[in-house]
Amino acid sequence: MNATVASEYSAERHSVPIEHRFNPYSDNGGTVLGIAGEDFAVLAGDTRQVVGYSINTRYEPRVFDVGDNIVMTANGFDADGAALIDRFRNSLKWYKFDHNGKRLSILSAARYIQHLLYGKRFFPYYVSTLIAGLDDEGRGAVYSYDPVGSYEREQCRAGGAAASLIMPFLDNQVNFKNQYVPGSDGKKKKELRYLSLEEVIQLVRDAFTSATERHIYVGDGLEILIVTKEGVRTEYFPLKRD
Amino acid sequence: MNHDPYVWGRPDDAVYGAYNHAIANASSHGNVQEETSFPKMNSQQPIITGTSVNSIKFKDGVIVAADNMGSYGSLLRFNNIERIFKVGKETVVGVSGDISDFQQIQRLLDELEITEEIYDNDGGHNLRAPNVHEYLTRVLYNRRSKMDPLWNAVVVAGFNDDKTPFLRYVDLLGVTYGLSAICTGFGAHLAIPLLRQLVPDDKDYQNVTEEQAREAIINCMKVLFYRDARSSDKFTLVTLKQGQPPKFEKDLRCENQNWRFAKDLVGYGSTQL
Amino acid sequence: MPGLSFDNYQRNQFLAAKGFGTPRATSTGTTIVGCKFAGGVVIAADTRATAGSIVADKNCEKLHRLAPQIWCAGAGTAADTEMVTQLIASNLELHSLSQNRKPRVITALTMLKQHLFKYQGHLGAYLIVAGVDPTGAHLMSVQAHGSTDIGHYQSLGSGSLAAMAVLETHWKPNMTKEEAVQLCAQAIELGIWNDLGSGSNVDVCVMEVGKDAELYRNYKTPNVRESKTRSYKFPRGTTAVLKERSWQVVDEQVVATGEPMEVDA
Repeated sequence: MNATVASEYSAERHSVPIEHRFNPYSDNGGTVLGIAGEDFAVLAGDTRQVVGYSINTRYEPRVFDVGDNIVMTANGFDADGAALIDRFRNSLKWYKFDHNGKRLSILSAARYIQHLLYGKRFFPYYVSTLIAGLDDEGRGAVYSYDPVGSYEREQCRAGGAAASLIMPFLDNQVNFKNQYVPGSDGKKKKELRYLSLEEVIQLVRDAFTSATERHIYVGDGLEILIVTKEGVRTEYFPLKRD
Repeated sequence: MNHDPYVWGRPDDAVYGAYNHAIANASSHGNVQEETSFPKMNSQQPIITGTSVNSIKFKDGVIVAADNMGSYGSLLRFNNIERIFKVGKETVVGVSGDISDFQQIQRLLDELEITEEIYDNDGGHNLRAPNVHEYLTRVLYNRRSKMDPLWNAVVVAGFNDDKTPFLRYVDLLGVTYGLSAICTGFGAHLAIPLLRQLVPDDKDYQNVTEEQAREAIINCMKVLFYRDARSSDKFTLVTLKQGQPPKFEKDLRCENQNWRFAKDLVGYGSTQL
Repeated sequence: MPGLSFDNYQRNQFLAAKGFGTPRATSTGTTIVGCKFAGGVVIAADTRATAGSIVADKNCEKLHRLAPQIWCAGAGTAADTEMVTQLIASNLELHSLSQNRKPRVITALTMLKQHLFKYQGHLGAYLIVAGVDPTGAHLMSVQAHGSTDIGHYQSLGSGSLAAMAVLETHWKPNMTKEEAVQLCAQAIELGIWNDLGSGSNVDVCVMEVGKDAELYRNYKTPNVRESKTRSYKFPRGTTAVLKERSWQVVDEQVVATGEPMEVDA
């Protein structure tokens, strides 16, 4: 029989006092997803806002058309997300006032957002930011950021609560990772090709219905913003509400 | 180098000595001596508090209700607090959380009303609920960003410019959302499930009559009184209807309370005494 | 040695101080309720099990049998509710056998509370115990620390507030069986919609005096998943075969030795 080591765990005092200080952040859940196509880009997000185990609302838009054929989302802590998008919209307005209504390219928008985020390097916006639109050649573009502004242009990216559930699915279905040409014995990777808008929407819907099944912070509704050279349009699909 | 995976790659204390927190006034991480000489303390917890504010939209307006209690921890300190007030002509604001911060918010909104409505400098544009909400959101978000929050959760009720009912929430973090039924605090757990039965989707408020909404809210106040230990059965209920000034009903009581079941319950297990 | 071992307590404290936290057991967000009616009692539960913010099981069973006519609904740490329930079920059966009487709800409750109290809340089991026995129908609850409660209706778990809102609004004395089942199911459903820790389906168990207990597994299924928009069937060979090794498995020849057994006389 093991002898129990005498330990005064009942009378133990912790060396650090219990902290009860104001936490300026909260996690409002939600998931977002951007995919770039040949001549279009989509940015989708679920419409549930949560805090803890409660649903704040089943419909609060998460993805926004910020103008100049750019759509944007900042997912994580909603107050920071709203503040970031507000600041970007405001800057875009002033950019137009100052430069005779000039159109802001997505390349420049992307770099500007990096500065907005890095400007709060030591009190960060607690969000994963995504923007989507068309580049100067008219090809679909998605840019993704970390909370302090490191960014990258990508073919696809998932952000927010269920990012880790959706991203591997996207790697496999958009960039054909781990898929080989049958009969090539793993020597030849499945060739990359652009997906059609229809295929992309199907992937987005399946990604969100699956994330809804397995993540408690995802659900209620799916809003997809689609950017083409004709402009931005929105599609809505209901999701499960449990 | 420290090989502990949580602080991997940082200088090892055993080799380089502990980090000097005095450099650049870095935070002391639990060094008690330094924390007692902390330069500035902001409000870190609410003191006297008000519990939930409950609200729901109906076909042509909004109903907001909140009880009249001010708690000092678990002490029933005040029973005459009015936590719903009017801003401008047709907007009301309901506040839960710290009462002193609530009074500060009240003063700010009084000031806003004077600059916007008395000194009319926007050509007769009325101060409406969306404007009040936006203003409050900025105030609360800026205060949280200064790490000096106003410890409240606020419901703004009124009308949009197009005369449709407006109902939106904002809290001490600056988080906002809009919905057809909003409850703060304990009500978000107890009352919201009941109100959502009436308005499962946002647009469903158009099918709800004033009587239905009123009945639902009054039932919520009763359930909250049963189950929220920081609530009272005396409350104020405000009805907003398009084109009419807000109707305040004060000193209402939860009616038809049922405590008769208690006589059948003896002990906490076996029925023997 | 029976019971929990605290041998590693000091080591764990030391590791925690160094930044290596102790592993946390999975706790299930849950909605469970119980309600008495004229001549019986009903309990109900949702079927979602979570591990943090991930749904671990979409259709788990939270209604456990303690005895043929005593059932309980469990919230809290999944493993604890399961093990504590199984242990008490066994002891209740042995007790019933030795006494040659049907087990009573109060016996189950007392065994549970004494067991849980012994572990000072370290067993995270929160249970609603209900059943019928020779003394009638009973509804009680036990908390992890061993305290118990009685009432005409009970709710426990992360969705208990949503469920309690329904119970406080619609409960009335001397309901019929059908009314009680409806009330419990509705209470669970509100937990499913409004509490993120609860979801999927509603399980119900009805215990009526003088009748066998009836378990209605998946009494309501309001959360059936819609079909996917695409097929994710890969052509054979999409996954590379990196290495192949095969074994020749030979059937061993059975060689008969000795005389065959005499079968017929």
